[in-house]
Amino acid sequence: MALIETKELTKIYELGWKKRVVGLNRVNLQIEEGEIFGILGPNGSGKTTCLKLLLGVLFPTSGEALIMGKGPLDVEMKKNVGFLPENPYYYDYLTGPELLKFYGRLFDLAPETIRKRTGELLELVGLNDAKRLALRHYSKGMLERIGLAASLINDPKILVLDEPTTGLDPIGCKETRDLLLRLNQEGKTILLSSHFLSEVERVCSRIAIFHRGNLIELGTLKDLLVQYEASTLEDLFVKSIEKFDQQHPA
Amino acid sequence: MKKIWVIAQNTFHESLRKRTLYIVLVFGLVVIGASKFFSFLTAQEELKMIQDVSFSAIEFFGALIAIFGALGAISSEIEKRTIYTLLSKPITRYHFVIGKFVGQILILLVNFLLLCLFFVGLLLFKKSVPNIEIFKALFLIFVELLLISSITLALATFTSDAFNIIFSFFLYIVGHLTSYGRQLIERTENIILKGLGDMLYTIVPNYENFAIRDKVVVGVPVSWQYVGKTVSYGLIYIVIAILIGIYCFQKREV
Ligand SMILES: Nc1ncnc2c1ncn2[C@@H]1O[C@H](COP(=O)(O)OP(=O)(O)OP(=O)(O)O)[C@@H](O)[C@H]1O
Ligand SMILES: [Mg+2]
Repeated sequence: MALIETKELTKIYELGWKKRVVGLNRVNLQIEEGEIFGILGPNGSGKTTCLKLLLGVLFPTSGEALIMGKGPLDVEMKKNVGFLPENPYYYDYLTGPELLKFYGRLFDLAPETIRKRTGELLELVGLNDAKRLALRHYSKGMLERIGLAASLINDPKILVLDEPTTGLDPIGCKETRDLLLRLNQEGKTILLSSHFLSEVERVCSRIAIFHRGNLIELGTLKDLLVQYEASTLEDLFVKSIEKFDQQHPA
Repeated sequence: MKKIWVIAQNTFHESLRKRTLYIVLVFGLVVIGASKFFSFLTAQEELKMIQDVSFSAIEFFGALIAIFGALGAISSEIEKRTIYTLLSKPITRYHFVIGKFVGQILILLVNFLLLCLFFVGLLLFKKSVPNIEIFKALFLIFVELLLISSITLALATFTSDAFNIIFSFFLYIVGHLTSYGRQLIERTENIILKGLGDMLYTIVPNYENFAIRDKVVVGVPVSWQYVGKTVSYGLIYIVIAILIGIYCFQKREV
Protein backbone atom coordinates (compact mmCIF):
# COMPACT_ATOMS: atom_id res chain seq x y z
CA MET A 1 0.00 0.00 0.00
CA ALA A 2 1.26 3.46 -0.90
CA LEU A 3 1.97 5.71 2.07
CA ILE A 4 0.39 8.73 0.43
CA GLU A 5 -2.25 8.30 -2.21
CA THR A 6 -4.71 10.39 -4.17
CA LYS A 7 -7.49 8.86 -6.20
CA GLU A 8 -9.04 11.02 -8.90
CA LEU A 9 -8.55 13.91 -6.51
CA THR A 10 -10.45 16.96 -7.72
CA LYS A 11 -10.93 20.40 -6.32
CA ILE A 12 -13.14 23.00 -7.91
CA TYR A 13 -13.24 26.35 -6.13
CA GLU A 14 -16.72 27.83 -6.24
CA LEU A 15 -16.37 31.58 -6.28
CA GLY A 16 -20.00 32.47 -6.41
CA TRP A 17 -22.49 32.44 -9.18
CA LYS A 18 -21.17 30.69 -12.29
CA LYS A 19 -17.61 31.49 -11.31
CA ARG A 20 -15.44 28.53 -10.62
CA VAL A 21 -11.76 27.75 -10.75
CA VAL A 22 -10.33 24.31 -11.25
CA GLY A 23 -7.72 23.87 -8.55
CA LEU A 24 -7.01 20.21 -9.14
CA ASN A 25 -8.35 17.88 -11.79
CA ARG A 26 -8.57 14.11 -11.21
CA VAL A 27 -5.08 13.61 -9.88
CA ASN A 28 -3.83 10.10 -9.14
CA LEU A 29 -0.64 9.87 -7.14
CA GLN A 30 1.02 7.10 -5.18
CA ILE A 31 3.96 7.87 -2.99
CA GLU A 32 5.77 4.96 -1.41
CA GLU A 33 7.50 4.76 1.92
CA GLY A 34 11.04 6.15 1.86
CA GLU A 35 10.61 8.42 -1.13
CA ILE A 36 11.41 12.08 -1.49
CA PHE A 37 8.71 13.11 -3.88
CA GLY A 38 8.75 16.50 -5.56
CA ILE A 39 5.82 18.35 -7.07
CA LEU A 40 6.72 20.91 -9.71
CA GLY A 41 4.51 23.21 -11.70
CA PRO A 42 3.90 26.80 -12.72
CA ASN A 43 2.20 29.25 -10.38
CA GLY A 44 -1.42 28.33 -9.87
CA SER A 45 -0.98 24.78 -11.14
CA GLY A 46 -2.51 23.17 -8.05
CA LYS A 47 0.48 22.17 -5.93
CA THR A 48 -0.68 23.89 -2.78
CA THR A 49 -4.24 22.78 -3.40
CA CYS A 50 -3.11 19.16 -3.54
CA LEU A 51 -1.14 19.39 -0.28
CA LYS A 52 -3.97 21.17 1.52
CA LEU A 53 -6.40 18.49 0.42
CA LEU A 54 -4.11 15.83 1.87
CA LEU A 55 -4.06 17.61 5.24
CA GLY A 56 -7.80 18.26 5.44
CA VAL A 57 -7.51 22.04 5.26
CA LEU A 58 -9.56 21.94 2.07
CA PHE A 59 -12.21 19.38 1.19
CA PRO A 60 -12.16 17.65 -2.20
CA THR A 61 -14.95 18.24 -4.70
CA SER A 62 -14.57 14.58 -5.64
CA GLY A 63 -12.02 11.83 -5.33
CA GLU A 64 -10.00 10.81 -2.31
CA ALA A 65 -6.84 11.83 -0.49
CA LEU A 66 -5.24 9.24 1.76
CA ILE A 67 -2.23 9.16 4.02
CA MET A 68 -1.38 5.75 5.47
CA GLY A 69 -4.71 4.61 4.11
CA LYS A 70 -6.57 7.17 6.22
CA GLY A 71 -8.58 10.21 5.21
CA PRO A 72 -7.37 13.75 5.93
CA LEU A 73 -9.41 14.15 9.12
CA ASP A 74 -8.01 11.10 10.87
CA VAL A 75 -6.39 12.22 14.13
CA GLU A 76 -4.23 9.12 14.59
CA MET A 77 -2.82 9.49 11.09
CA LYS A 78 -1.88 13.10 11.75
CA LYS A 79 0.35 12.11 14.65
CA ASN A 80 2.73 10.78 12.00
CA VAL A 81 2.72 13.84 9.79
CA GLY A 82 4.61 17.11 9.81
CA PHE A 83 3.35 19.95 7.61
CA LEU A 84 5.01 23.17 6.53
CA PRO A 85 2.55 25.45 4.71
CA GLU A 86 3.51 27.85 1.95
CA ASN A 87 4.74 31.22 3.30
CA PRO A 88 4.19 30.05 6.85
CA TYR A 89 2.99 32.50 9.40
CA TYR A 90 2.68 31.79 13.08
CA TYR A 91 1.33 33.34 16.25
CA ASP A 92 3.43 36.44 16.18
CA TYR A 93 3.40 37.11 19.91
CA LEU A 94 5.07 33.76 20.67
CA THR A 95 8.79 33.07 20.67
CA GLY A 96 10.27 30.17 18.74
CA PRO A 97 10.48 27.83 21.74
CA GLU A 98 6.93 28.75 22.79
CA LEU A 99 5.64 27.91 19.34
CA LEU A 100 7.32 24.51 19.36
CA LYS A 101 5.98 23.86 22.84
CA PHE A 102 2.43 24.69 21.76
CA TYR A 103 2.56 22.31 18.81
CA GLY A 104 4.36 19.67 20.85
CA ARG A 105 1.59 19.72 23.42
CA LEU A 106 -0.98 19.20 20.69
CA PHE A 107 0.85 15.97 19.92
CA ASP A 108 0.59 15.00 23.56
CA LEU A 109 4.37 14.89 23.88
CA ALA A 110 5.88 14.79 27.35
CA PRO A 111 7.31 18.12 28.57
CA GLU A 112 10.86 16.69 28.69
CA THR A 113 10.55 15.44 25.14
CA ILE A 114 9.37 18.85 23.99
CA ARG A 115 12.20 20.62 25.78
CA LYS A 116 14.81 18.28 24.38
CA ARG A 117 13.53 18.45 20.82
CA THR A 118 13.08 22.21 20.95
CA GLY A 119 16.76 22.61 21.75
CA GLU A 120 17.80 20.21 19.00
CA LEU A 121 15.49 21.65 16.37
CA LEU A 122 16.40 25.29 16.98
CA GLU A 123 20.02 24.29 16.64
CA LEU A 124 19.20 22.35 13.49
CA VAL A 125 17.50 25.26 11.71
CA GLY A 126 20.01 27.80 12.98
CA LEU A 127 17.70 29.83 15.20
CA ASN A 128 19.49 29.37 18.47
CA ASP A 129 20.36 33.04 18.69
CA ALA A 130 16.76 34.12 18.15
CA LYS A 131 15.35 32.11 21.06
CA ARG A 132 13.89 35.06 22.90
CA LEU A 133 12.63 36.95 19.89
CA ALA A 134 8.88 37.09 19.27
CA LEU A 135 7.93 35.70 15.88
CA ARG A 136 6.61 39.07 14.72
CA HIS A 137 10.20 40.23 14.66
CA TYR A 138 11.30 37.31 12.49
CA SER A 139 12.36 37.79 8.90
CA LYS A 140 10.72 35.81 6.12
CA GLY A 141 13.49 33.23 5.99
CA MET A 142 13.51 32.90 9.75
CA LEU A 143 9.79 32.14 9.67
CA GLU A 144 10.45 29.47 7.08
CA ARG A 145 13.10 28.02 9.36
CA ILE A 146 10.95 27.99 12.47
CA GLY A 147 8.21 26.46 10.35
CA LEU A 148 10.49 23.63 9.36
CA ALA A 149 11.42 23.09 13.00
CA ALA A 150 7.75 23.14 13.96
CA SER A 151 6.93 20.53 11.35
CA LEU A 152 9.52 18.23 12.92
CA ILE A 153 8.46 18.57 16.55
CA ASN A 154 6.64 15.23 16.55
CA ASP A 155 9.47 13.39 14.76
CA PRO A 156 7.01 12.54 11.96
CA LYS A 157 7.22 9.59 9.60
CA ILE A 158 5.86 11.73 6.82
CA LEU A 159 6.84 15.30 6.00
CA VAL A 160 4.72 17.47 3.74
CA LEU A 161 6.51 20.67 2.79
CA ASP A 162 5.08 23.40 0.58
CA GLU A 163 8.02 25.31 -0.91
CA PRO A 164 10.34 24.72 2.04
CA THR A 165 13.21 26.81 0.69
CA THR A 166 11.37 29.85 -0.64
CA GLY A 167 12.79 32.80 1.20
CA LEU A 168 15.88 31.05 2.45
CA ASP A 169 19.39 32.34 1.79
CA PRO A 170 21.75 30.15 -0.25
CA ILE A 171 23.26 28.59 2.84
CA GLY A 172 19.81 27.95 4.26
CA CYS A 173 18.81 26.27 1.00
CA LYS A 174 21.81 24.02 1.06
CA GLU A 175 21.31 23.19 4.73
CA THR A 176 17.68 22.37 4.14
CA ARG A 177 18.60 20.15 1.22
CA ASP A 178 21.13 18.28 3.33
CA LEU A 179 18.62 18.04 6.14
CA LEU A 180 15.97 16.55 3.89
CA LEU A 181 18.41 13.95 2.60
CA ARG A 182 19.43 13.06 6.13
CA LEU A 183 15.85 12.82 7.37
CA ASN A 184 15.10 10.61 4.40
CA GLN A 185 17.99 8.33 5.29
CA GLU A 186 16.54 8.10 8.78
CA GLY A 187 13.46 6.66 7.16
CA LYS A 188 11.16 9.62 6.68
CA THR A 189 9.01 9.93 3.60
CA ILE A 190 8.98 13.44 2.20
CA LEU A 191 6.50 15.13 -0.12
CA LEU A 192 7.49 18.62 -1.18
CA SER A 193 6.59 21.24 -3.72
CA SER A 194 9.18 23.58 -5.11
CA HIS A 195 10.08 26.06 -7.80
CA PHE A 196 13.79 25.42 -7.41
CA LEU A 197 14.61 22.91 -10.06
CA SER A 198 18.18 22.37 -8.93
CA GLU A 199 16.94 21.51 -5.47
CA VAL A 200 14.39 19.06 -6.79
CA GLU A 201 17.03 17.59 -9.07
CA ARG A 202 19.33 16.93 -6.17
CA VAL A 203 16.98 15.52 -3.56
CA CYS A 204 13.91 14.00 -5.17
CA SER A 205 13.65 10.34 -6.06
CA ARG A 206 10.56 10.96 -8.17
CA ILE A 207 8.82 14.04 -9.47
CA ALA A 208 5.39 15.05 -10.64
CA ILE A 209 4.67 18.03 -12.86
CA PHE A 210 1.36 19.81 -12.36
CA HIS A 211 -0.16 22.17 -14.85
CA ARG A 212 -3.56 23.86 -14.74
CA GLY A 213 -4.67 21.46 -12.05
CA ASN A 214 -3.63 18.38 -13.99
CA LEU A 215 -0.91 15.91 -13.23
CA ILE A 216 0.89 15.98 -16.57
CA GLU A 217 4.04 13.99 -15.88
CA LEU A 218 5.15 11.55 -13.24
CA GLY A 219 8.29 9.48 -12.84
CA THR A 220 11.96 9.45 -11.97
CA LEU A 221 13.98 12.35 -13.26
CA LYS A 222 16.11 9.99 -15.36
CA ASP A 223 13.19 8.38 -17.13
CA LEU A 224 11.50 11.67 -17.84
CA LEU A 225 14.66 13.24 -19.23
CA VAL A 226 15.00 10.34 -21.64
CA GLN A 227 11.35 10.45 -22.56
CA TYR A 228 11.45 14.15 -23.45
CA GLU A 229 14.95 14.05 -24.93
CA ALA A 230 15.80 16.82 -22.52
CA SER A 231 19.21 17.57 -21.10
CA THR A 232 18.16 19.44 -17.99
CA LEU A 233 15.17 19.52 -15.69
CA GLU A 234 14.41 23.02 -16.87
CA ASP A 235 14.29 21.81 -20.44
CA LEU A 236 12.05 18.95 -19.42
CA PHE A 237 9.77 21.26 -17.45
CA VAL A 238 9.25 23.63 -20.35
CA LYS A 239 8.74 20.86 -22.89
CA SER A 240 6.18 19.01 -20.83
CA ILE A 241 4.17 22.17 -20.27
CA GLU A 242 4.28 23.09 -23.96
CA LYS A 243 3.21 19.64 -24.97
CA PHE A 244 0.26 19.72 -22.62
CA ASP A 245 -0.80 23.17 -23.81
CA GLN A 246 -0.71 22.00 -27.43
CA GLN A 247 -2.81 18.96 -26.65
CA HIS A 248 -5.25 20.82 -24.42
CA PRO A 249 -5.71 24.36 -25.69
CA ALA A 250 -7.59 26.42 -23.13
CA MET B 1 -9.78 17.22 26.57
CA LYS B 2 -6.13 18.09 26.91
CA LYS B 3 -5.99 19.44 23.37
CA ILE B 4 -8.93 21.72 24.06
CA TRP B 5 -7.08 23.05 27.08
CA VAL B 6 -3.86 23.59 25.11
CA ILE B 7 -5.74 25.61 22.49
CA ALA B 8 -7.58 27.55 25.19
CA GLN B 9 -4.33 28.46 26.91
CA ASN B 10 -2.82 29.60 23.65
CA THR B 11 -5.83 31.82 22.97
CA PHE B 12 -5.64 33.28 26.44
CA HIS B 13 -1.93 33.81 26.13
CA GLU B 14 -2.44 35.62 22.84
CA SER B 15 -4.99 38.03 24.24
CA LEU B 16 -2.79 38.84 27.23
CA ARG B 17 0.00 39.86 24.93
CA LYS B 18 -2.06 41.62 22.30
CA ARG B 19 -3.18 44.31 24.71
CA THR B 20 -6.10 45.50 22.60
CA LEU B 21 -8.55 44.27 25.21
CA TYR B 22 -6.68 46.19 27.91
CA ILE B 23 -7.93 49.42 26.41
CA VAL B 24 -11.51 48.33 26.86
CA LEU B 25 -10.72 47.20 30.37
CA VAL B 26 -9.18 50.55 31.25
CA PHE B 27 -12.23 52.37 29.93
CA GLY B 28 -14.42 50.19 32.10
CA LEU B 29 -12.33 50.94 35.17
CA VAL B 30 -12.39 54.65 34.42
CA VAL B 31 -16.17 54.71 34.09
CA ILE B 32 -16.62 52.79 37.33
CA GLY B 33 -14.14 55.08 39.03
CA ALA B 34 -15.86 58.18 37.70
CA SER B 35 -19.15 57.18 39.26
CA LYS B 36 -17.88 58.20 42.65
CA PHE B 37 -17.40 61.81 41.70
CA PHE B 38 -21.03 62.74 41.95
CA SER B 39 -20.42 64.38 45.28
CA PHE B 40 -23.50 66.58 45.11
CA LEU B 41 -25.57 63.52 45.87
CA THR B 42 -26.40 62.34 49.36
CA ALA B 43 -24.41 59.36 50.57
CA GLN B 44 -27.34 57.05 49.99
CA GLU B 45 -27.92 58.28 46.47
CA GLU B 46 -24.25 58.15 45.73
CA LEU B 47 -24.07 54.46 46.61
CA LYS B 48 -26.97 53.75 44.29
CA MET B 49 -25.28 55.73 41.60
CA ILE B 50 -22.04 53.79 41.99
CA GLN B 51 -23.90 50.50 41.79
CA ASP B 52 -25.98 51.55 38.84
CA VAL B 53 -23.07 52.87 36.82
CA SER B 54 -20.81 49.97 37.76
CA PHE B 55 -23.28 47.27 36.80
CA SER B 56 -23.89 48.95 33.48
CA ALA B 57 -20.20 49.50 32.86
CA ILE B 58 -19.28 45.92 33.71
CA GLU B 59 -22.00 44.65 31.44
CA PHE B 60 -21.25 46.97 28.55
CA PHE B 61 -17.47 46.80 28.56
CA GLY B 62 -17.69 43.08 29.28
CA ALA B 63 -19.85 42.73 26.18
CA LEU B 64 -17.27 44.61 24.14
CA ILE B 65 -14.55 42.29 25.35
CA ALA B 66 -16.77 39.27 24.70
CA ILE B 67 -17.58 40.31 21.15
CA PHE B 68 -14.16 41.48 20.04
CA GLY B 69 -12.41 38.66 21.85
CA ALA B 70 -14.50 35.91 20.28
CA LEU B 71 -14.28 37.53 16.87
CA GLY B 72 -10.50 37.77 16.97
CA ALA B 73 -10.08 34.27 18.35
CA ILE B 74 -11.42 32.66 15.19
CA SER B 75 -10.81 35.19 12.46
CA SER B 76 -7.21 36.01 13.31
CA GLU B 77 -6.32 32.33 12.93
CA ILE B 78 -7.89 32.30 9.50
CA GLU B 79 -6.63 35.68 8.36
CA LYS B 80 -3.08 35.02 9.43
CA ARG B 81 -3.25 31.48 8.08
CA THR B 82 -2.05 29.98 11.34
CA ILE B 83 -5.04 27.71 10.98
CA TYR B 84 -3.35 25.68 8.22
CA THR B 85 -0.65 24.46 10.52
CA LEU B 86 -3.02 24.04 13.42
CA LEU B 87 -5.45 21.84 11.49
CA SER B 88 -2.59 19.68 10.24
CA LYS B 89 -1.94 18.69 13.86
CA PRO B 90 -3.79 15.78 15.44
CA ILE B 91 -6.79 17.82 16.51
CA THR B 92 -10.32 17.84 15.23
CA ARG B 93 -12.28 20.89 14.39
CA TYR B 94 -14.42 20.63 17.47
CA HIS B 95 -11.27 20.73 19.60
CA PHE B 96 -10.55 24.00 17.87
CA VAL B 97 -13.97 25.59 18.39
CA ILE B 98 -14.37 24.45 21.98
CA GLY B 99 -10.77 25.34 22.76
CA LYS B 100 -11.34 28.83 21.46
CA PHE B 101 -14.47 29.17 23.56
CA VAL B 102 -12.75 27.96 26.70
CA GLY B 103 -10.01 30.48 25.96
CA GLN B 104 -12.65 33.20 25.77
CA ILE B 105 -14.10 32.08 29.09
CA LEU B 106 -10.68 32.54 30.68
CA ILE B 107 -10.24 35.97 29.12
CA LEU B 108 -13.69 37.11 30.16
CA LEU B 109 -13.20 35.75 33.63
CA VAL B 110 -10.00 37.69 34.20
CA ASN B 111 -11.37 40.95 32.81
CA PHE B 112 -14.66 40.52 34.61
CA LEU B 113 -12.98 39.79 37.95
CA LEU B 114 -10.79 42.86 37.61
CA LEU B 115 -13.82 45.07 36.95
CA CYS B 116 -15.71 43.47 39.83
CA LEU B 117 -12.78 43.85 42.17
CA PHE B 118 -12.61 47.52 41.39
CA PHE B 119 -16.33 47.92 41.91
CA VAL B 120 -16.36 46.08 45.22
CA GLY B 121 -13.29 48.01 46.31
CA LEU B 122 -15.13 51.23 45.57
CA LEU B 123 -18.11 50.11 47.62
CA LEU B 124 -15.89 49.18 50.54
CA PHE B 125 -14.16 52.52 50.23
CA LYS B 126 -17.57 54.12 50.63
CA LYS B 127 -18.05 52.02 53.74
CA SER B 128 -20.73 49.84 52.19
CA VAL B 129 -20.26 46.09 52.50
CA PRO B 130 -21.66 44.45 49.34
CA ASN B 131 -24.45 41.99 50.08
CA ILE B 132 -25.15 38.70 48.36
CA GLU B 133 -27.65 40.34 46.01
CA ILE B 134 -24.86 42.30 44.40
CA PHE B 135 -22.95 39.11 43.72
CA LYS B 136 -26.03 37.48 42.25
CA ALA B 137 -26.35 40.39 39.84
CA LEU B 138 -22.65 40.19 38.92
CA PHE B 139 -22.85 36.45 38.41
CA LEU B 140 -25.77 36.77 36.02
CA ILE B 141 -23.91 39.47 34.10
CA PHE B 142 -21.03 37.03 33.71
CA VAL B 143 -23.33 34.33 32.32
CA GLU B 144 -24.71 36.92 29.91
CA LEU B 145 -21.17 37.75 28.77
CA LEU B 146 -20.49 34.06 28.12
CA LEU B 147 -23.64 33.90 26.06
CA ILE B 148 -22.67 36.96 24.02
CA SER B 149 -19.24 35.46 23.47
CA SER B 150 -20.62 32.10 22.34
CA ILE B 151 -22.89 33.74 19.79
CA THR B 152 -20.11 35.84 18.27
CA LEU B 153 -17.85 32.79 18.22
CA ALA B 154 -20.49 30.75 16.41
CA LEU B 155 -21.01 33.53 13.87
CA ALA B 156 -17.27 33.80 13.33
CA THR B 157 -17.17 30.25 12.02
CA PHE B 158 -19.15 31.14 8.93
CA THR B 159 -19.49 34.91 8.45
CA SER B 160 -17.22 37.84 7.74
CA ASP B 161 -15.96 40.06 10.54
CA ALA B 162 -18.00 43.05 9.46
CA PHE B 163 -21.25 41.13 9.39
CA ASN B 164 -20.39 39.46 12.65
CA ILE B 165 -19.77 42.72 14.50
CA ILE B 166 -22.93 44.31 13.18
CA PHE B 167 -25.05 41.28 13.90
CA SER B 168 -23.58 40.73 17.36
CA PHE B 169 -24.28 44.31 18.40
CA PHE B 170 -27.68 44.17 16.80
CA LEU B 171 -28.47 41.08 18.88
CA TYR B 172 -27.06 42.76 21.94
CA ILE B 173 -29.43 45.68 21.52
CA VAL B 174 -32.43 43.69 20.38
CA GLY B 175 -31.80 41.16 23.13
CA HIS B 176 -32.22 43.95 25.64
CA LEU B 177 -35.41 45.16 24.05
CA THR B 178 -37.28 41.89 23.59
CA SER B 179 -39.66 42.66 26.43
CA TYR B 180 -40.73 45.88 24.74
CA GLY B 181 -40.96 44.02 21.48
CA ARG B 182 -43.19 41.50 23.15
CA GLN B 183 -45.60 44.20 24.19
CA LEU B 184 -45.66 45.60 20.68
CA ILE B 185 -46.39 42.18 19.23
CA GLU B 186 -49.27 41.64 21.56
CA ARG B 187 -50.91 44.81 20.33
CA THR B 188 -50.63 44.12 16.62
CA GLU B 189 -53.56 42.64 14.69
CA ASN B 190 -51.56 41.42 11.73
CA ILE B 191 -51.19 37.65 11.99
CA ILE B 192 -48.05 37.38 9.91
CA LEU B 193 -46.35 40.11 11.90
CA LYS B 194 -47.48 38.46 15.08
CA GLY B 195 -46.13 35.07 14.03
CA LEU B 196 -42.86 36.57 12.95
CA GLY B 197 -42.57 38.51 16.16
CA ASP B 198 -43.32 35.47 18.26
CA MET B 199 -40.69 33.52 16.41
CA LEU B 200 -38.08 36.23 16.90
CA TYR B 201 -38.99 36.46 20.54
CA THR B 202 -38.35 32.75 20.98
CA ILE B 203 -35.07 32.71 19.07
CA VAL B 204 -33.41 35.93 20.20
CA PRO B 205 -31.92 35.53 23.66
CA ASN B 206 -33.53 37.86 26.14
CA TYR B 207 -30.59 39.61 27.73
CA GLU B 208 -32.90 41.47 30.08
CA ASN B 209 -33.38 38.20 31.94
CA PHE B 210 -29.87 38.62 33.22
CA ALA B 211 -30.37 42.21 34.29
CA ILE B 212 -31.50 42.05 37.89
CA ARG B 213 -29.47 45.10 38.77
CA ASP B 214 -32.46 47.43 38.82
CA LYS B 215 -33.89 45.38 41.63
CA VAL B 216 -30.59 45.02 43.41
CA VAL B 217 -29.91 48.73 43.34
CA VAL B 218 -33.18 49.54 45.06
CA GLY B 219 -32.74 46.65 47.47
CA VAL B 220 -35.36 44.19 46.22
CA PRO B 221 -34.06 40.63 46.74
CA VAL B 222 -33.97 38.16 43.86
CA SER B 223 -34.62 34.49 44.56
CA TRP B 224 -32.00 31.80 44.02
CA GLN B 225 -34.59 30.01 42.02
CA TYR B 226 -34.66 32.88 39.54
CA VAL B 227 -30.87 32.90 39.39
CA GLY B 228 -30.81 29.15 38.71
CA LYS B 229 -33.46 29.41 36.05
CA THR B 230 -31.69 32.23 34.29
CA VAL B 231 -28.35 30.43 34.37
CA SER B 232 -29.95 27.37 32.78
CA TYR B 233 -31.56 29.64 30.21
CA GLY B 234 -28.15 31.05 29.35
CA LEU B 235 -26.46 27.65 29.27
CA ILE B 236 -28.98 26.29 26.80
CA TYR B 237 -28.25 29.15 24.41
CA ILE B 238 -24.51 28.74 24.91
CA VAL B 239 -24.59 25.02 24.15
CA ILE B 240 -26.70 25.57 21.04
CA ALA B 241 -24.43 28.39 19.83
CA ILE B 242 -21.29 26.30 20.29
CA LEU B 243 -22.87 23.31 18.55
CA ILE B 244 -23.80 25.53 15.61
CA GLY B 245 -20.23 26.87 15.62
CA ILE B 246 -18.78 23.36 15.53
CA TYR B 247 -21.14 22.29 12.78
CA CYS B 248 -20.36 25.28 10.59
CA PHE B 249 -16.64 25.12 11.19
CA GLN B 250 -16.57 21.47 10.21
CA LYS B 251 -17.96 22.45 6.81
CA ARG B 252 -15.69 25.41 6.43
CA GLU B 253 -12.71 25.55 4.14
CA VAL B 254 -10.07 27.84 5.50
N1 LIG C 1 -8.90 29.77 -1.87
C1 LIG C 1 -9.01 29.77 -3.19
N2 LIG C 1 -10.11 30.22 -3.79
C2 LIG C 1 -10.24 30.21 -5.12
N3 LIG C 1 -9.33 29.75 -5.96
C3 LIG C 1 -8.19 29.30 -5.45
C4 LIG C 1 -7.97 29.27 -4.04
N4 LIG C 1 -6.75 28.75 -3.82
C5 LIG C 1 -6.25 28.46 -5.02
N5 LIG C 1 -7.10 28.78 -6.01
C6 LIG C 1 -6.90 28.58 -7.46
O1 LIG C 1 -6.52 27.25 -7.66
C7 LIG C 1 -5.49 27.17 -8.60
C8 LIG C 1 -4.30 26.42 -8.02
O2 LIG C 1 -3.77 27.16 -6.94
P1 LIG C 1 -2.59 26.63 -6.03
O3 LIG C 1 -2.45 27.57 -4.88
O4 LIG C 1 -2.82 25.23 -5.71
O5 LIG C 1 -1.33 26.79 -6.98
P2 LIG C 1 0.19 26.48 -6.73
O6 LIG C 1 0.60 25.44 -7.70
O7 LIG C 1 0.46 26.20 -5.31
O8 LIG C 1 0.85 27.87 -7.15
P3 LIG C 1 2.17 28.60 -6.59
O9 LIG C 1 3.31 28.01 -7.31
O10 LIG C 1 1.97 30.03 -6.99
O11 LIG C 1 2.23 28.40 -5.13
C9 LIG C 1 -5.17 28.59 -9.01
O12 LIG C 1 -5.79 28.81 -10.25
C10 LIG C 1 -5.80 29.46 -7.97
O13 LIG C 1 -6.31 30.62 -8.54
MG1 LIG D 1 1.55 27.05 -3.89
